Amino acid sequence: MLGREFFKKPKNALEGQKGPAAAPQAPDGMFVKCPACGANLLREELERDNLVCKRCRHHFRMGARRRVALLCDEGSFEEWDAELESENILSFPEYETKLAGAKKRSGERESVVCGEGRIDGQPFVLCVMDPNFMMGSMGRITGEKIASAFERATAKRLPVVVCSVSGGARMQEGILSLMQMAKTSGAIGRHSRAGLLYVTVLTDPTLGGVSASFAMEGDIILSEPGALIGFAGPRVIEQTIRQKLPAGFQSAEFQREKGFVDAIVQREKLRTTLSQLIALHCGEQGIDQNLYALRRREELATAPQSLTPYQRLQAARGKNRPTAFDFIERCFEDFVELHGDRRFGDDKAVVGGVARLFGMPVTVIGIEKGRDLKERIDRNFGLAHPEGYRKALRLMRQAEKFRRPVVCLVDTSGAFCGIGAEERGQSQAIAENLQTMMELRTPVISVLIGEGGSGGALALAVADEVWMLENAVYSVISPEGCASILWKDSSRVAEACDCLKLTASDLLELGVIERVIAESEKRELMFGWLKTALCDALQEKRATPLDQLLRRRYERFRKF
Amino acid sequence: MFRKILIANRGEIAVRIIRACREMGIATVAVFSEADAPALFVSMADESICIGGPRAADSYLNMEAILSAAIATGAEAIHPGYGLLSENPKFVALCEQCGIAFIGPTSELIAKMGDKDEARRTMKAAGVPVIPGSDVIEDVDEAERCAEEIGFPVIIKARAGGGGRGIRIVKERAEFRGAFLAASSEAASAFGDGACYLEKYLRPVKHIEMQVLCDNYGGVVCLGERECSVQRKNQKLIEESPSPAISAETRAAMTLASTRAAKATGYRGVGTIEYLYTGEGDFYFMEMNTRLQVEHPVTEMVTGVDLVQWQIRVAAGVKLPFAQEDIRISGAAIECRINAEDPGRGFAPCCGTVELLHIPGGPWVRFDTAIYQDYFIPPFYDSMIGKLIVHAQNREQAIRKMKMALSELVIEGVTHNADFQAQLLDNPAFVDGSYTTGLLDELGK
Repeated sequence: MLGREFFKKPKNALEGQKGPAAAPQAPDGMFVKCPACGANLLREELERDNLVCKRCRHHFRMGARRRVALLCDEGSFEEWDAELESENILSFPEYETKLAGAKKRSGERESVVCGEGRIDGQPFVLCVMDPNFMMGSMGRITGEKIASAFERATAKRLPVVVCSVSGGARMQEGILSLMQMAKTSGAIGRHSRAGLLYVTVLTDPTLGGVSASFAMEGDIILSEPGALIGFAGPRVIEQTIRQKLPAGFQSAEFQREKGFVDAIVQREKLRTTLSQLIALHCGEQGIDQNLYALRRREELATAPQSLTPYQRLQAARGKNRPTAFDFIERCFEDFVELHGDRRFGDDKAVVGGVARLFGMPVTVIGIEKGRDLKERIDRNFGLAHPEGYRKALRLMRQAEKFRRPVVCLVDTSGAFCGIGAEERGQSQAIAENLQTMMELRTPVISVLIGEGGSGGALALAVADEVWMLENAVYSVISPEGCASILWKDSSRVAEACDCLKLTASDLLELGVIERVIAESEKRELMFGWLKTALCDALQEKRATPLDQLLRRRYERFRKF
Repeated sequence: MFRKILIANRGEIAVRIIRACREMGIATVAVFSEADAPALFVSMADESICIGGPRAADSYLNMEAILSAAIATGAEAIHPGYGLLSENPKFVALCEQCGIAFIGPTSELIAKMGDKDEARRTMKAAGVPVIPGSDVIEDVDEAERCAEEIGFPVIIKARAGGGGRGIRIVKERAEFRGAFLAASSEAASAFGDGACYLEKYLRPVKHIEMQVLCDNYGGVVCLGERECSVQRKNQKLIEESPSPAISAETRAAMTLASTRAAKATGYRGVGTIEYLYTGEGDFYFMEMNTRLQVEHPVTEMVTGVDLVQWQIRVAAGVKLPFAQEDIRISGAAIECRINAEDPGRGFAPCCGTVELLHIPGGPWVRFDTAIYQDYFIPPFYDSMIGKLIVHAQNREQAIRKMKMALSELVIEGVTHNADFQAQLLDNPAFVDGSYTTGLLDELGK
């Protein structure tokens, strides 16, 4: 490699006359340094990119007005309670000076801006906190404005979106600030009980009293990438435990992994995501006749494939068998994946979210095995942990709240068997699902698309109807397990398959399932048929009075 | 004169510019990507600053990083070379805002010439011949009249066109109506816009370009032409000056038109006006390149004018001390681009380490390159690794000299196209100078 001093410098004097020495200089404010990657960014481009670093995607903090403009249809936002201002009730030293500075810096009177606006024409209530006003700290007026926005939203039956950014409670307002946590939570509870949607968007940072109240109470919790989210701030934790925290601790990504955030949304997609979610929850809940008219009408082959039970087991476990995601992609539209159990973690073996079926919003939950080895490892081979069942439970309860049907896609050889799963109550998680599903006040259909292994499968299969793909299997124990327990010989799998009566046709005869779906070579045909069948069945269930639906569901299992 | 210049480019052109600066006593700042740390230009510059990752978007196109480097090192001017940011009006405007001289024309002028339609209108107004054509025509009768006026063959192009759809070449009148309706309906179904316009279809053509050099005081000289008709997929392979195909009268007419164009636009610095030449003295404006060209050395060889040094001088406000009548074209020069690509495998780009390097020598042989022995050619950038240029008293001797020089060029460890170039030099159409831009397509048949 050539060195820096490899070549001599020629002794040539500068030709011509020296120009006036003018050191180049960037005009003030032309560049902004990205605090995350250190890149110099052109302010003009940064503004155009909604304050997102084009190199590392770091999301700069954004003022409340700007975010309102980002999210609302132009000119649609009508502010509420704009005149409210904080007072120094506790006569806290220097609070007035602080407030005056915050007002000047932010141009706002309080740390939150609330009002009603429209997003793609859909009315909604929006509360946006401002990082430039005492870092969004929550004082009495902050809480007041938020609580009153929820009360008005409840009265007007409107969804609410809150964009949070806050260091927590406002010191200068002492215990009165703490009370805002309870006050806002109360108002949100009433809004929720009225069956209305609440979406929170956590932005950097969302900490303390704000995260421990309204920010974490959304039906759906979104977050901007990289946002710091937590109860205690990292500095406080480090000082308390006298340990350095690992990188990424309390980041949005960390919180999603821990099950507390539904999805991380890039700022450029925030508006469309919120609009889509509001449309799914507050728009037309029935099917779109125009879409439905375009459905595929081909009949599936009626002649069953002649396979032995063991061959069917192998087919169910086959490498190229479509997984839950394939069904979600092919049978549904507009899928928005939601993550986490809000308790411990996000189990990648269970996927779920909201989607549409010919335009009709439905909750879809599936057990995903993964399509290749890397994905399979990532999805734990479709072996769910308690947090997976609890995520499913959470999403089903949400479906119940918003009166939308649930479709479960089951494909697991069983619930995961391991130390962590036991520690976190695998049995309890499964049991709770069985009881909740039995009484879930919305239609549920479960489709066994591959393996249906024992309690781990049943935890998603207490439904009004259970369907099976022709080569799916459903049994109390894996055939290997059966052979090894009964005959102390796990090689007698084929025999166990015969004895267990685990094929779709056997189970149809036993009344365990309602329908067998023929597996066609042409998969698109099968997906199209299933989509129509699900739509027709759910339409029928939705038309059935709830009490009757629940009684039938009870009787469906009571008969065994 | 500038005391310090930052070179916002890499490879052989960065080396070329640094050499000019070293001759002129100007200090140099190289900016380089992480992949280019061992590059020759990085060692040759007085200061070198790493500005980002290997991908050009992260480094050589990273305007913020380049401007920061210029400010940090106190560079008074930025030389953009060719390609990359050399014709980016936004970058030029940012340099202007930071008080850094951009060695090239103003951002307005670059923007103007970058807009094909506006460039065409500007040139037409300046009296430069443009390819005869029409505006958008809806009515097939009117289109037919228009085609008649332009003269067959004509090419029908969709306004919204792309990917070859909505394009029809019509050789004679009888085919016109059907072709126009087909092009229009094809465009309507492909782009949702059936609007079409006509242009004269010019084939076979030669690619001839005129070099201009302008100072800040209205001084304009035209440094003759370069013929660049040996092209593969619009990439030039061999360039020569003067063109064997144009007469003294045509050269004079092209010189006049180009000088007029430069004056009409208030052009500053070096620039190139590209024309399609159809023979018999007919030439049509194609586009203007507002930068130094890759093939500038052939002009340097026949005129004796160091284009890079003059480009720097006029940017620093020096008045041109010579006029058009002082420009003499002497002898003939040819340039072959040496690319790290494999002609035997569809010209696939190659990379690798230069294990052995021998650079041809002798009188009037020049090899502009940035490679050296043991240099690893990184896979991230253009495949051109050098330009071999020869100058002789006439074209025949120049071809002989080039063949000699090519046979002496040894670059072991990297597949390149020198043998392919030597074959082209023997092509009868090249030898007699009648070759057109279709040369390589015909060879491929």
